[in-house]
Amino acid sequence: MRVERQCVINADRDAVWKVVGDPDCYPRFMTNLERWENASERPAGVEARYTVHWKIGSVPVGGLVEVVEFVESRDLAWVGITGVNLRGRIRLRDAGEGRTRVTFRLSYQAPGGILAYIADRVAVRQVGRTLADTLKRLKALVEQ
Amino acid sequence: MAGFSDVIGWARSQVASRVPKADLDQRDPDYIRDQLPGTWLLASLYFRSDVRGLHRIPAEGPVLLVGNHSGGNVPPDTFVFTLAFCSYFGVERPFYQLAHNLVVSAPPLHFLRKFGTVAANPENARLALESGAALLVYPGGDYEVFRPSWERHKVDFGGRMGYVRLARETGVPIVPVASVGGQETALFLDRGQWLAKLLMVDKLLRLKSVPISLALPWGLNIGDLAGHIPLPAKIVIEVQEPIDVDGDDLAVHDKVVASLQAGVDRLAAERRFPVIG
Repeated sequence: MRVERQCVINADRDAVWKVVGDPDCYPRFMTNLERWENASERPAGVEARYTVHWKIGSVPVGGLVEVVEFVESRDLAWVGITGVNLRGRIRLRDAGEGRTRVTFRLSYQAPGGILAYIADRVAVRQVGRTLADTLKRLKALVEQ
Repeated sequence: MAGFSDVIGWARSQVASRVPKADLDQRDPDYIRDQLPGTWLLASLYFRSDVRGLHRIPAEGPVLLVGNHSGGNVPPDTFVFTLAFCSYFGVERPFYQLAHNLVVSAPPLHFLRKFGTVAANPENARLALESGAALLVYPGGDYEVFRPSWERHKVDFGGRMGYVRLARETGVPIVPVASVGGQETALFLDRGQWLAKLLMVDKLLRLKSVPISLALPWGLNIGDLAGHIPLPAKIVIEVQEPIDVDGDDLAVHDKVVASLQAGVDRLAAERRFPVIG
C-alpha cells in the first residue's frame, strides 16, 4: 500500500529541512511514534539506521530502517530492513514565496498472503491519519 | 491396589514420552513473520488489544517475562503479547514461551513450536535463558488460567515461585507483564480441582484442574480440552519495570506479585464494562 499526504508550510525549505533533516527530532512531531532510536551511531545521512515503531492497531509496527537518500533541503528517504516491507519519503518543494510544500509518503507491505493484504487494507486509514497528523505537527513546529 | 498404581504409572509414562523434548531450533522466524499480519488482525479488530510499556524490556540479552495468565485453554494474552514482542523487537530476537505438556504434545497445536513454544519444565526454561533468549512464563499456569471469572482481576500463582530460582540461577532480570480481559472471554465457573482428582488426571496428565465454564460454542464446557471460541473481550497488557533478583525467593516473589497486582488493578480501573472494556 502507498499512502501520501501533503501540506504547505509557511517557511522556506531550509527552515523546514532543519527539522526534517535531523531524524533525532522526529519524536517531536511524528504521531503515534512509539520508538525512534538511532541504531547506527552515524550522523544523519545516507546509511544511518534507526529503529522505528509506529503504534498501528494493537501493537507497534515497524523495525530497523536505513536512510537511502539524503539530499539537503529536498528529499529524505528510508527503507525498512527488518519488520514489514517499508519505504518512507519526505519531499520538500517550493510552493511560492517563502513557502514549502511537504509530501510525506509511506509504502508498506506486510509479509504473508491474503491475510497480509487484508491487514494492509485495514491499516491504511490509520496510516493515512498518522501521516496527516504528523504533517500538521511538523507545520506547527516549523512555523512556531 | 498395587496393580492399580502400576496402571497409573504406565499411563503417566506414556503421556510423558509423548511430550516433545525442547528443541530451540524448532522456532522459525520466517514462519512467525508470515503469521504476524493474521494475528495483528485478530488482536487489533477482534480483541482491540492495547500493549503498553514494551520499552521496559531490556533491549538485548536473556530476560524472564512473568505474566498473569487468563482465558482458559485459549489464552488471548499469550498470542497478543507474542505478536507485540515480535513486532517490537523483530522476529530475529529469540523468544520462547513455556506451555503445558498437553499443549505442546497435541498434534493440532504443533505449529506453536514454530512460534517458540516449549514444554513447561525447569530444564527447558534454563535451556532457553542460557541460550540468551527472552522467555515468557506464566507461573500460575492451569491453576490461574481457570480461576472463576469473578476473580478475573486477581493475580494468583497458587504459591508457585520456581521462576524466582530460575531467574537467580541464570542471572536474568524478571520483567512482570500484567494483563486484563482474558478471563472475560468465557464465563469461568470453577477450577474443578475436585473433578481432576476424581478423574485422576492430576496424576495421569499433570492436570490440576478440569474447569467448568460457559463458553461458545459448547454452552456448558467441562475440561476445555477442545478449546472454545473466545468472546471478543478487550485485552490490555502492561509491561512493567524489571525486578532484580536480590532477595530471598519469597521476597522477590512478593515483589513480582505486588507489581503485577498493582498493574492489573490499574488496568481494571480503566474498564467500564466486562468484555467491551
